[in-house]
Amino acid sequence: MTRFLLRRIAHAVFLLFGVSVLAFFFTTFAPGNYFDDMRLNPQISAERLTALRADYQLDRPMVVRYLRWARSVLHGDLGLSFAYNTAVGPLLWTRARNTLLLTGTATVLTWMLALPLGVWSAEKLGRPADVALSWATAVLLIIPDLTLALGLLVLAVRSGWLPTGGLVSVGFGGFSAAHRVRDVAWHMVLPVTVLVASALPVLLRHVRAAVAEALEAPFLRAAEGHGISRGRLLYRYVLPAAAHPLIALFGFSLGTLLSASLLVEVVMSWPGLGPFLLEAILARDLYVVIGGVLLSTLFLVAGNFVADLLLFWVDPRIRAEASRR
Amino acid sequence: MRCAPGSNVSERRARLGHIGTVLAAISSCFLAIQAAGSFPTYANAKEELLRVAGEIGRPGGRIVIALRSEPKTLNPLIAADATSREVIGAMQADLVHINRATQLTEPALAKSWKMSADGLQYTLTLRQGLKFSDGRPVDIEDVLFTLRVYLDEAVHATQRDLLIVGGKPIAVRKVDAQTVAFTLAKPYGVGERLFDGLAILPRHLLETPYREGKLAQAGGLGTPANQWAGLGAFRLKEYVTGQRLVLERNPYYWKTDEQGNRLPYLDEIVFLFVPSADAQVLRFQSGETDIISRLGAENFSVLSRQARDYTMADAGPGLEYNFLFFNLNELGEKAPADMARKQSWFRSEKFRQAVSLAIDREAIVRLVYQGRGAALWGPVTPGNPRWADASIAHPTRSLDKSRQLLAEAGFRMAKGESAEPQLLDAVGRPVEFSIVTSSSNADRAKMAALIQDDLKQLGMRVQVVPLELRSLIDRITQTKEYDACVLGIVSFDADPNSDLNVWLSSGGMHLWNLSQKHPATDWEAEIDLLMEQQLTATNAAQRKKSYDRVQEILGEHQPMVFLASPDILVGAKKSIGNFRPAVLEPYVLWNVDQLYQRNGAENARR
Amino acid sequence: MSTRSRLLLCVAGLGALHLGVACAGFFAPYDPTAQDREHPYAPPMPLHFVDARGGFHLLPFFYAQELQAGTFDQYEENRSRAIPVEFFVSGAPYHVLGVFPLRIHLLGGGDVQMYLLGSDGYGRDLLSRILFGGQVSLLAGLIGAGLTLSIGLCIGTVAGFWGGWKDEVLMRVAELFLALPWIYLLFAMRAFLPLTVPPLKAFLLVVIVIAAVGWARPARMVRGIVLSAKERDFVRSARGFGASDAYLLRRHIVPETASVVLTQAAILVPQFVLAEMTLSFLGLGVPEPVASWGNMLSSLQHYNVLVSYWWMYLPALAMVPFFLGYLLLESLLQGSYATSKIE
Repeated sequence: MTRFLLRRIAHAVFLLFGVSVLAFFFTTFAPGNYFDDMRLNPQISAERLTALRADYQLDRPMVVRYLRWARSVLHGDLGLSFAYNTAVGPLLWTRARNTLLLTGTATVLTWMLALPLGVWSAEKLGRPADVALSWATAVLLIIPDLTLALGLLVLAVRSGWLPTGGLVSVGFGGFSAAHRVRDVAWHMVLPVTVLVASALPVLLRHVRAAVAEALEAPFLRAAEGHGISRGRLLYRYVLPAAAHPLIALFGFSLGTLLSASLLVEVVMSWPGLGPFLLEAILARDLYVVIGGVLLSTLFLVAGNFVADLLLFWVDPRIRAEASRR
Repeated sequence: MRCAPGSNVSERRARLGHIGTVLAAISSCFLAIQAAGSFPTYANAKEELLRVAGEIGRPGGRIVIALRSEPKTLNPLIAADATSREVIGAMQADLVHINRATQLTEPALAKSWKMSADGLQYTLTLRQGLKFSDGRPVDIEDVLFTLRVYLDEAVHATQRDLLIVGGKPIAVRKVDAQTVAFTLAKPYGVGERLFDGLAILPRHLLETPYREGKLAQAGGLGTPANQWAGLGAFRLKEYVTGQRLVLERNPYYWKTDEQGNRLPYLDEIVFLFVPSADAQVLRFQSGETDIISRLGAENFSVLSRQARDYTMADAGPGLEYNFLFFNLNELGEKAPADMARKQSWFRSEKFRQAVSLAIDREAIVRLVYQGRGAALWGPVTPGNPRWADASIAHPTRSLDKSRQLLAEAGFRMAKGESAEPQLLDAVGRPVEFSIVTSSSNADRAKMAALIQDDLKQLGMRVQVVPLELRSLIDRITQTKEYDACVLGIVSFDADPNSDLNVWLSSGGMHLWNLSQKHPATDWEAEIDLLMEQQLTATNAAQRKKSYDRVQEILGEHQPMVFLASPDILVGAKKSIGNFRPAVLEPYVLWNVDQLYQRNGAENARR
Repeated sequence: MSTRSRLLLCVAGLGALHLGVACAGFFAPYDPTAQDREHPYAPPMPLHFVDARGGFHLLPFFYAQELQAGTFDQYEENRSRAIPVEFFVSGAPYHVLGVFPLRIHLLGGGDVQMYLLGSDGYGRDLLSRILFGGQVSLLAGLIGAGLTLSIGLCIGTVAGFWGGWKDEVLMRVAELFLALPWIYLLFAMRAFLPLTVPPLKAFLLVVIVIAAVGWARPARMVRGIVLSAKERDFVRSARGFGASDAYLLRRHIVPETASVVLTQAAILVPQFVLAEMTLSFLGLGVPEPVASWGNMLSSLQHYNVLVSYWWMYLPALAMVPFFLGYLLLESLLQGSYATSKIE
């Protein structure tokens, strides 16, 4: 077990290193740089831009820049942002926290809804209730989440019940602790709804398909014969058998916690990582982008790791094989 | 009094008593004066405030305004993006300011100025007794420090190039404790306008970082409020990462209204960061924000239709001009063969004039701006009446004239494979080229699509290639691998000098043929001469004549085919007083010190 | 109705829909790129059977729409002239399968533009654009989904079946592929493409790149299934009987993955089509003047379009029968696979 852990940690480090090198490569490859925007400003001369580029060491070879950046990573800075002129690390942490609040809640809700609904739907396979649910999820799948987000915002404006974006209201500083929690929760309703609505159909269909297949297995007949209750049967026997694709999906849910909500954050002005990284990508704020990529990679690696652990734990066949090897 | 030897103790006691009484009297006087708040009046009497004309408002209240992105810094030296500049504009002040409504200069921190007869020297007199927003006094040394920092090459101030006149940076010299003299290498027609936007910086906060070479890091968003100061109407109060920036009233602001009340009226400005334009519209409609600036025409119509407790205002055409230009760069031998052929078409003036005549500018204004814009035949928009040349031609669209011009230039029509008419050049090759445009600007992409269809009528096959902005800039300025491009420029001042780099053949923004060592054509040489003339002429009429001639030359030779200019569309709640949008940046906050809330109280709902 | 007949019905329905889109030139009244600057954002024209004087006509007719004076998007019908809908008219030229030029169209309005489903911001007929747009979007969706799934299936099977170091390496590579900022690569690729590349090819290249790097997800899911499938009794017994790896894969393992692959297929096609909306957001979508469902829907991200011009939602409505058809097909196939699997 320890060997497994160590191996995975070594792989994670190697992966992070590989991703950072490739990301450096990509960002150097893409045409244009941060100061190009100023190129179209009649007030600023081209010589000033060359001087600025030299100042920020954008004209040095890639290897030199990579080594400097690696050193700043070890300090926790993750490089310098050209736009903000401060270290990248602090810029990312606060925003990552806001994003995790949103996506964490949405992921928990999605799984809590998808599992029971999927199991129930697989049980009633082919019957009107299942067909109705299928159609509902199909329709949800087809609605693009940008339109859903904007549509919900319009609803919020027309009805006045929900805030139209942001994390907190303007007077947040003066609120009591309980009021603050309520304020944030109120602002979370719309973005979480959109995220759940876009993730639920996919997950539901997978759960349904996997459970439906597992329900065919003969061992179930035997278990029924033993007199085990339906509920226990479904959740303690069927679900683990159906678990493989679901575990992989769960790993992905964890892995994409930071990146799944980009569009929703932009439209609902949620102060998360999404709009910040998008702007950095478009503005070629290199170290911000690379920092963001590394953070996402970290989550991805963690997600896959958890998924592999779960797979190991859930499926005795894999455990048996591993112990054999 | 006589000192009787025998009564020393009692006399001393009496004397002490006298001194004590006098001291008590004096200190109680001081206390009384302080209590009455007139201790600052002692300084107030020497504080030279600027009395501003306008509607009298009521103090108090807060406005909330949305920004498209976060400002990146509060430091005027390094701020390059529009959002940072807008926020900084409310926090800093300059020596001479351009009034955005009248587009003329007026005294700001400098109460008066004089220009020498030869136009080479400007002497400005600073107002006395002013204080920074943290209470520290302002003196001439701050002005000198500011100029030194702006002119320092190592600092890379974004406005440094504006202070280089005649190839040399302006020289600054202290005359006395109230006056500073600027010496220019050549006479400068723009005059005192060059001081607009040069924020006077606090020496007491920035001298140390400057000496340590860390000036660029000063004034970042994380700066604590008590470590940053300026002379603007508002000062920093709070910044919450990714969400909002709050400014509070500067109690030491040096302007008053006509009744002598110290401005600004508002207690707070809250800037919210709302990255999506449509989300901004929704927030304005729901009442969460008070002012919305620079709307697109379609959103403006929607908001106008549903106006409840806000008014929408169309301030007329701004200073943005959109244009189509062709690649006329000298590419040398390494240019591919088809590029050379295409350039032979683009270099033909009749070709460019034909393209210009074929473009349906009226449709552009109608379909892209919903009528809220103006068609352009030159770079000066109707929003700049002082500099517009009324005599240049505004030819109406005529496909026949275009075809005639093309025929004169050696092109001819033929039937293509799909039975569609195609334009062929003198050698028989079909006329096909691409127009690149920025994918992030929907308006220009729409213009390109309309132009594509217009040119189809002439038999030209045009492809629209939307590119991401930085890739586009790379192509236009570095690799020069493009055929034609639709772009726009927003002049930051009505004065033609603001776009000098666009018209000078050696300029970095001379987009169709960048950074030439020598002017490539006669008329470009003539434009260079005229721009030099208007730069150094001190007579306004002379400058206008030179610039009129420049506009005529541009109209004749069409290096840029000018398209249209959008109106400045804004909106504000009815409860906001003194709301007077301008066509120069910052469009709604230029008079932020005079804005006020009519009902006075804070917005109770929040 | 048996599963088989339901399946046939579903396939027939989908086939008809796809045929309609493939013959877009015939069913569409106009050229999808023809602009009409006098009629931007014109609402759909109602077809009438009863004219102003109460007379009934067998064939429908419509009235011309004109802009109300002084407005930019408010229209009124010009009731003075009733224009009959003509069938089998000769109109704008188009190519069937890109080869045969034809000019015949199913519907037409004579000399007046007939906007059955309204027009967009340039005055282009929406019905024609939806039909032609379907060609681009469905092609992109099917190519993208097909490519992703093929690569994912291959790699997932290899990783799961042979295990060991192959599995480790492939899964680490999968993580790498998931982690990298492909957006940069897409921008770079788009920027370096020569400007003469036709817009459609440029877009398809973007789709292919996205599909080629998106294999990681299905690969991981397939790997999970294969891992457990290869330990199943029937596989072990088949191996005991001397079955080769190829036989095992073809006969036993890969069919196990059918359920996941089908589910993914039915989900990926709409996702690719909708991803085009996001790509348009970033400037990497199908450029003007080519029509596609994604770039038509991307106009819906604008608030004013969302609230004022309801007919711009119609491309989404057009997508619904296709996607529901795919999902139905997938359901039916899952059902029939389940009954025909070897246990």
